Amino acid sequence: MAKKLGKIKLKKEIIPYLFIMPWILGFLIFTIGPLIFSLIISFFDWPIVGQPTFVGFGNYIRMFTKDKMFTHSLFITVKFAIIFVPLYMGIALGLALLLNQKIKGQSFFKTVFYLPSVISGVALSMIWIWIFDFKYGVINYLLSLIGIAGPNWLGDPKWSLIAMVIASLWGQGTMVLIFLGALREIPKDYYEASMIDGANSLQRFYKITLPLITPALLFNLIMTIIAAFQQLTLALLMTKGGPSNSTYFYAMYVYNNAFKHFEMGYASANAWIMFFIILTLSLLVFKSSSLWVYYESEVKK
Amino acid sequence: MKQTFIRKLPIYVLLILFSLLFLFPFFWTVTSAFKAEAELHAYPPVWIPSSFSLVNFIKSWTSQPFTQYFFNSLTVVIGTTIGQLISCSLVAYGFARFNFKGRDVLFIILLATMMIPWDVTMIPMYMEFNAFGWINTLKPLIIPAWFGSPFYIFLLRQFLLNIPKELEEAALLDGANHFQIYYKIYMPLVKPTLVLIAVFNTLSVWNDYLGPLIFLNDQSKYTLTLGLAQFKGVGDVNMSAIMAITSIICIPPLIGFFFAQKQIIEGISTTGIK
Amino acid sequence: MKKLGLLLVFILIFGLMGCAKEDTKTLRFATWDSEDTLEVQKQIAKRFEELNPGVKVQVEGYGDGYDQKIAAGFGAKNAPDVMYMWDFPTYQASLETLNSYMDSDESFKTLMNDLYPGILNYSTMDDKVLGMPVGYTSHVVYYNKSLFDKAGVAYPEEGWTWDDLREKAIALSALGDDVYGFAFSTSPDPYDFEQYYWSFGTSYLSNDGKMMDGYFNSPEAVAMMQMFSDMVKEGSALGAQDSVSNAFRGGNVAMQESGIWPLERHIESIGAENLGIIALPKAKEASSVINSSALCMAKDSKNKDLAWEFIKFYTSPEAVKMRAKIDLPVLKSVSEELNYTSDPLYKPFYDMLETAAAHTPAFLLNSQYSKISEKMLYAIEKVFVDSVNGEPVDVKAILDEAVSESAQFLE
Repeated sequence: MAKKLGKIKLKKEIIPYLFIMPWILGFLIFTIGPLIFSLIISFFDWPIVGQPTFVGFGNYIRMFTKDKMFTHSLFITVKFAIIFVPLYMGIALGLALLLNQKIKGQSFFKTVFYLPSVISGVALSMIWIWIFDFKYGVINYLLSLIGIAGPNWLGDPKWSLIAMVIASLWGQGTMVLIFLGALREIPKDYYEASMIDGANSLQRFYKITLPLITPALLFNLIMTIIAAFQQLTLALLMTKGGPSNSTYFYAMYVYNNAFKHFEMGYASANAWIMFFIILTLSLLVFKSSSLWVYYESEVKK
Repeated sequence: MKQTFIRKLPIYVLLILFSLLFLFPFFWTVTSAFKAEAELHAYPPVWIPSSFSLVNFIKSWTSQPFTQYFFNSLTVVIGTTIGQLISCSLVAYGFARFNFKGRDVLFIILLATMMIPWDVTMIPMYMEFNAFGWINTLKPLIIPAWFGSPFYIFLLRQFLLNIPKELEEAALLDGANHFQIYYKIYMPLVKPTLVLIAVFNTLSVWNDYLGPLIFLNDQSKYTLTLGLAQFKGVGDVNMSAIMAITSIICIPPLIGFFFAQKQIIEGISTTGIK
Repeated sequence: MKKLGLLLVFILIFGLMGCAKEDTKTLRFATWDSEDTLEVQKQIAKRFEELNPGVKVQVEGYGDGYDQKIAAGFGAKNAPDVMYMWDFPTYQASLETLNSYMDSDESFKTLMNDLYPGILNYSTMDDKVLGMPVGYTSHVVYYNKSLFDKAGVAYPEEGWTWDDLREKAIALSALGDDVYGFAFSTSPDPYDFEQYYWSFGTSYLSNDGKMMDGYFNSPEAVAMMQMFSDMVKEGSALGAQDSVSNAFRGGNVAMQESGIWPLERHIESIGAENLGIIALPKAKEASSVINSSALCMAKDSKNKDLAWEFIKFYTSPEAVKMRAKIDLPVLKSVSEELNYTSDPLYKPFYDMLETAAAHTPAFLLNSQYSKISEKMLYAIEKVFVDSVNGEPVDVKAILDEAVSESAQFLE
């Protein structure tokens, strides 16, 4: 009898692992190998087309002491993230709140907000280049109609990062939908109860809406941080890092070291440093989340 | 009636304003596909093309085996979406509804795997798939999806955590096992999120460029995005073909999205929970 | 040895065996071509299959993603057998030297005499021939005749100078606020840009590739950059952020420098009757860089003999003629047969080709070129962008900075 109980208990302990087994297997088969490979190669000088030579911490030392582009690109990325993350989250939440109202044409608006995400990056970047062109572009054309001489968006170091932020904001669709999904899950009777209590709409937002969507907020925040730090495609297609390296993001620095200068070892070292930065930021957010994220089921302690 | 409309007017105005902004790239893509080469680059800009002939669409579509690409993309989308839904829902349920040893560490590892840039894992991944004999097949694009993607696992976990625990306890008392609870109680509750995951996955796979580029060699295996990128040659860009193909390949995910979003709206009005 | 260790670690992790299923009769051939031009490559490959029964050529077209794909292929030791190549300095360690194949093949020698001189230099490193050129383009000036007519400006003539170009550009720009006489990219590919250095009598680096000071920032270089900067500031030239070719097609730009690539779509947009092509203007001389399309063979290829046969076929008049639509034929006989050497649309490219043998691009001179060129591009871009934005430009100081920044790579 006791033996049987033990067996049941063992079985019970195994159950959660059975559920997460697919990911564990995938991690072991597809993820960890390439990760370890890139970690090992970060201690080598590897020109991709030749033999790797061991250089110890050489790549890391060079990055921190000799390479100006390392700090520069990191700085650009942080600057981008500081502007981009709050704007992106704020607008996404705002749009989701608007869409959550009882309005006509819901499906239409939702589809429209999702549209830019459907357009493939190749075409989208071309459209943006044209939109921002200082001479023949549409923004400056429209500005000229009302007598304003528009800036050289992508060609002026003062404006180029802002142009990148604006272009990136068009990828909102995903975040809007996630927020909307979270808003939909708030049971209606919560609001009804608070109406009876005489709470106004602002109070309702702070007391009910905001706490109940914090799980989605946490998700979006972490994903936006990761996205901001890995920002590459648009910059690669639109500015190639210029002018005057004003859009030379860290991800582009890694990319160029890998595929332009063929220093895969060095690029791997770059990538691992980026990894630690993002990881630290995410962990900070995560640790703080117990203070501000509210789960209806607290299976956690 | 009139009063509510006036109250809601600012909302409509805002929504319409934003819609115009978000519609613009799409509008420009589609109209550009109709434009002649000179109209494309004219200044002041030409808003409405002078002709609406479909010739450019047909010419662009037939200039490469796009129908073949379409079916390849479709295969990858269906293959990965089913895989993601099954694996991610299981894994997310495991992380969200149990308290087990090593859970938090494992979850951090899961998150961390999203943070290493592709550039440096690409070559070892290529080596690995090559060793499996998967290069130049659709397998590297499909099979990993059956083991879950951190993005969707994390997303679903957040929604699962938000469901009150009493439900589960009641079901356990009724003698249901965990798999039944997962399948019969929780999955219906997070159906909107599962639809969301299907939508996201469809789109990211549909528009994926790097994966197909690196792992496919033979044109008969190419996906739509890879075909699209072909219009960008070394010295010159065939802009009107890019716009035409982009307009066409937008359609399937948009139709899919239009139907899916109804599911997302309906959401969890299944009020009985609380 | 170390690489072996790494490989072992890798194999151990997965407990897998490499299973290379090589069909000996399949030849992998990768190209950066796309669309119509890819179609041409396929036809040539098909023709090769006809001539060599039992052989299958898998044509792999990657367009814009070519460089990344090839890098991944080499990195993972799974490169195509034969591929197009331009970046010989980077890949030389993984490419098969073709000299012995060329020497042992009698029939090849007559072919070599048919090849335009100088082109082979672009795929030769330290006397080792790493690629066989099959097509090329030089650079020319495209001009829009209707804008010239409208402004009453005479078309450019052979032997024209940069001063002539500037004079015409000023007159053409007077047509309107949105019209420019000349346009160039504010962020040019440094490889293509070096021709202006040559034209003004200097170069990026010294002939041995070891010195940058006194070359990249020489007085000639400063004068040339100053000219471009002044043209932007006076409004006669557009420093374009977007593609210059697009601006040209919009009909607001009268002159543009480029290789052969935009030709077809230029005709489509402004009409063949309005399109003029002329050799590049000269300062000290008229010089053009050459973009050669060469085929090379991977060192790891398991089908080297077949690969050589394929490369040889590609270099033959039959194949060169077939791919004449893509860029320009490298063989004298084919060019003459197609009348390209006298056709006004193509002749300027041949005129410019003759200037090519006089210079070796810095690209082939220094193994650290990719890093140096990043610094050079930064400087060139800064001069242009500041000019466009109406900021004060100290050309000499900007070029000097690039030289001192690059010093670390020249040691």
